[in-house]
Amino acid sequence: MRETYGKLLPGMRLSDLAGKLIVIEGTDGVGRSSQINLLKPWLEELGHAVLDTGMTRSLLAGEGIRRAKEGNNLGRVTQSLFYATDFVDRLENEIVPALRAGFIVLTDRYIYSLMARAIVRGMDAEWIRSIFSVALKPDAVFYLRLGIDQLVPRVVFSRGFDYWESGMDLYPGQDMYDSFCNYQAALIAEFDRLSQEFKFETVDATADARAVFGHLKSKILHLLEADSRSEFLSRLSAKTIESPARNFTELLAAAERTASSNSDLAAAPVSARGSNGNGHAHYFQK
Amino acid sequence: MGIGSGIRIGPFEVFAPIQPAVSTVRQYGEHHFPGQLFVVEGIDGSGKSTQLSLLHKWLESRGYGVVFSEWNSSPLVKDTTKLGKKKKLLTPATFSLIHSTDFADRTERSILPLLKAGAVVLCDRYIYTAFARDVARGMDREWVRDLYAFAVQPTVAFYFRVPLETAIRRLLDARDGFKFYEAGMDLELSDDPEESFRLFQGRIIQEYEKMIPEFRLTMIDATLPIEVQQAAVRQIAQRHLDAAKEVRVQA
Repeated sequence: MRETYGKLLPGMRLSDLAGKLIVIEGTDGVGRSSQINLLKPWLEELGHAVLDTGMTRSLLAGEGIRRAKEGNNLGRVTQSLFYATDFVDRLENEIVPALRAGFIVLTDRYIYSLMARAIVRGMDAEWIRSIFSVALKPDAVFYLRLGIDQLVPRVVFSRGFDYWESGMDLYPGQDMYDSFCNYQAALIAEFDRLSQEFKFETVDATADARAVFGHLKSKILHLLEADSRSEFLSRLSAKTIESPARNFTELLAAAERTASSNSDLAAAPVSARGSNGNGHAHYFQK
Repeated sequence: MGIGSGIRIGPFEVFAPIQPAVSTVRQYGEHHFPGQLFVVEGIDGSGKSTQLSLLHKWLESRGYGVVFSEWNSSPLVKDTTKLGKKKKLLTPATFSLIHSTDFADRTERSILPLLKAGAVVLCDRYIYTAFARDVARGMDREWVRDLYAFAVQPTVAFYFRVPLETAIRRLLDARDGFKFYEAGMDLELSDDPEESFRLFQGRIIQEYEKMIPEFRLTMIDATLPIEVQQAAVRQIAQRHLDAAKEVRVQA
């Protein structure tokens, strides 16, 4: 059965979360989104339903965070909590329902990025861990790692400096380059620490995108195979193996019974709202 | 000890506060800033906002630099909260988190720097509101308390205690109906807003009652005449302001 990091949100059921939760982590510019763009079609081709999600994509807080970041007066505690709001909204309304429906959830960053950012900004490590104790433990965390020397040219020569990616809120008065180096180096150090604690699968991101993709594919295949193998074995060891034909006939008969007994209710409105188990509609099929 | 304090302000006798407002149970960043932080707590309809605005006018008239901060009012965050409420996107967890985000912004941007600058800061609702509401919505008590660990501990937290029926009567006299989240309609306790409000606010009162000793809230009997309550509030505030002045003179 799936676990959280210690606390359970009200109404969240951890049983029957059959899907797989796969996290791609790493600092800015390591190629996380490129990898997800390769992994998603590949998994779909294999016949898996895939939900991809990532920071600030929540219906609730995504737009609010973007607006708050337009100015430079977003404080450090506020920032941490705004991102936590975004995360929990997606956890409850996208990630959990998708896992329940048997999807593979590919997430671009997870709680670890949020922890690293908060800790680098001076937040208490225990405090931030306590907040994210409600998160689900993923099936795998792939940490795409790049040293600061390799990171600088990738980011600077592709899209230039960004105020927040350069941690300018942390090092005011420095130029964007110095600030970027200080901030990203501190993040990498924090990621390395978290990697030990949370047992990340570190992937060398200095290789070209195709090679990284190949590496991720083999790891993910292994994860999915191990799962289907154990499922197969458990089915073999189960005492009663019902024949599919009989099963189908029974289902059909049951359906007919229900249909006839409910015929007078046919005009009644049908509630087809999806649920994450705590009575709230979800919207993971965007 | 007799019931009365023997202290009179105008026509009213004033009661001395039962306990000092210093928490020894939890250290919510006990501050040593020159400013003073007074907060009011209580359920909707307890009359706390009226009391705070009267305190505000009085402090201003006495020459203090006073700043007022209201629950759920951060310019960076309130649009998100509004969206969540309007579209009913909020779960107990995100309701809790978005309000803590709002509070964080007000703490970082105004409450903390103003206390450093020596202002008297007045807050209509504070962390205790979150503790009461979020736990009433089913959030883990410890988790919510940890969430607000960055908050500054108030000089005095006034809790306006009122029976549920009195509060409901006041609210129904003043306006018609209750709002969705205010009545805890998201918890599906009852389809009837008034009944849902009654059940939800009942839970909130239970949480407040537990917090009186936990956080040493200063209790005010909110069924007393407005003037009597205000006299007590002013007396307590005055004592802390005088003490603060002495500290500054000695320093």
